[in-house]
Amino acid sequence: MSENGQKDERLSASHIMPREKGAAPLDFVIAVMALLAALALGSSLIASRAAEGWSQGLSDHVTVQVLPPESGDAAAGLAKESAAALGVLNATPGIAHARLLSDAEIEKLVEPWIGNSGVVAGIPLPRLIDATIAPGEGVDSGALTARLKAAAPDAVLDDHRRWIARLEGLADTVRYAAYGILLLIAGATAAVVTLATRAGLDAHHEMVALLHQMGARAGFIAHNIERHYFLSALAAAAAGTAIAALLFQGLAGLEFVGVEAVPFLPPLSLSLSELPWLVAVPAVISLISWATARISVLSVVRAIY
Amino acid sequence: MVRFENVGMRYGSGPEVLRDISFDLSAGSFTFLTGLSGAGKTTLLKLISLAEPPSRGLITLFGEELATARRRDLPALRRRIGVVFQDFRLLAHLSAYDNVALPLRLAGKREANYTRDVRELLSWVGLGDRMSARPATLSGGEQQRVAIARAVVARPDLLIADEPTGNVDPEMGAKLIRLFAELNRLGTTVLIATHDRMLVEETRGREIRLVEGRLMEMRKTAAAYT
Repeated sequence: MSENGQKDERLSASHIMPREKGAAPLDFVIAVMALLAALALGSSLIASRAAEGWSQGLSDHVTVQVLPPESGDAAAGLAKESAAALGVLNATPGIAHARLLSDAEIEKLVEPWIGNSGVVAGIPLPRLIDATIAPGEGVDSGALTARLKAAAPDAVLDDHRRWIARLEGLADTVRYAAYGILLLIAGATAAVVTLATRAGLDAHHEMVALLHQMGARAGFIAHNIERHYFLSALAAAAAGTAIAALLFQGLAGLEFVGVEAVPFLPPLSLSLSELPWLVAVPAVISLISWATARISVLSVVRAIY
Repeated sequence: MVRFENVGMRYGSGPEVLRDISFDLSAGSFTFLTGLSGAGKTTLLKLISLAEPPSRGLITLFGEELATARRRDLPALRRRIGVVFQDFRLLAHLSAYDNVALPLRLAGKREANYTRDVRELLSWVGLGDRMSARPATLSGGEQQRVAIARAVVARPDLLIADEPTGNVDPEMGAKLIRLFAELNRLGTTVLIATHDRMLVEETRGREIRLVEGRLMEMRKTAAAYT
């Protein structure tokens, strides 16, 4: 309440400029920017988490595939070479455990491609050995391949390196694309706020000139204007980010009820530990707005004598 | 207090609107600036109030030569000057009270220290019951009185007024001149641009007369001899 009993734009030293009229479009644009920035940031977090999971899951294991021999008794040959390969793996330092997959497990693996009609019973399928690498240990793939070839000529070692590299490449692409989008959004936000500030200053040029004439320092005038843009941008960006957070949580809800957003990809929702990262979006956008408004105002005020 | 030495002024590439102006305003003086419309009075007031830089010549204000003054020192000089603009230039979104309090807030004063002064001053100019009114709801004369109250509230060292009695009745005009005279008695240097010959002759002070951008005459007013 003011001295004269009026609740109005009473001047506290930091509130001399009037509340901008017609600022809603700017608030809307900033909210959309924040929504897009939060989606991009969330995507980069999901990509990082997925790459880490894929890499971790695959690098903990090696797989040995024993192919049926080209001549002779396929079943006997497979059994002999599988046992030999299993023996080599169990004797290899760094391998914690090696296990021959059962026929049922192998049939389940090929089921998505050839169904479960029993047709696989007549096909000589390769045998698979899943070996787990001891935590913190590594395996010399070249030496292991040579020993396997000597003991079981039809055994093929797959250490998943090719897959890990491709998955990491994919995750990096998603991450860098997200960073690019974030940079574009930051630039666009700065441009939009610059335009809005200039338009606001044009509308209030008389007032700015008067305050300047009365001895207000450029920094004082800028403070009053930049404060307005900072708070408006903070509120709008917080709203946009909140919508993005709800979208991510909505995807989590879909996965919870069994709807898979994208098959073979990790969950597209953010974990509780990842959600706080989204706070950075309104913080950065409001800081960009503050800095842009300040620079714009100072350049205009300093152009006055 | 104010010294002009061969000052000239033109806007952009237009003709000179002030030419070879030289004069002194001593501290504590009371001076009228007269001349026909277009003689350059408003431009001269702009130069003194640091609203525009001169195109040529030297201006010294409060002992500081403006040509060599640092830009960051100008706001402090401006705060020592109270200006009554011809078009009032009140802030439309603020009440009469807040408009008058503005120079004090810009000077960093606390509200508790000036509320009484602002209220008393507004009452003195006859607006005690209009403190919360916005400029748009005030008449031209009332707006002018708010503008005058705003110019004098911080007790400036130099008061500049452009036609300050143009929109008020003779009685209020005389009252406002008494306010300026009282401020002058307390040490404020006063410079008033006016067309009102009677006002000039009835007030003790000096007159500077401009004709087509040149300073034609500096003399004492008739009342100064009585």
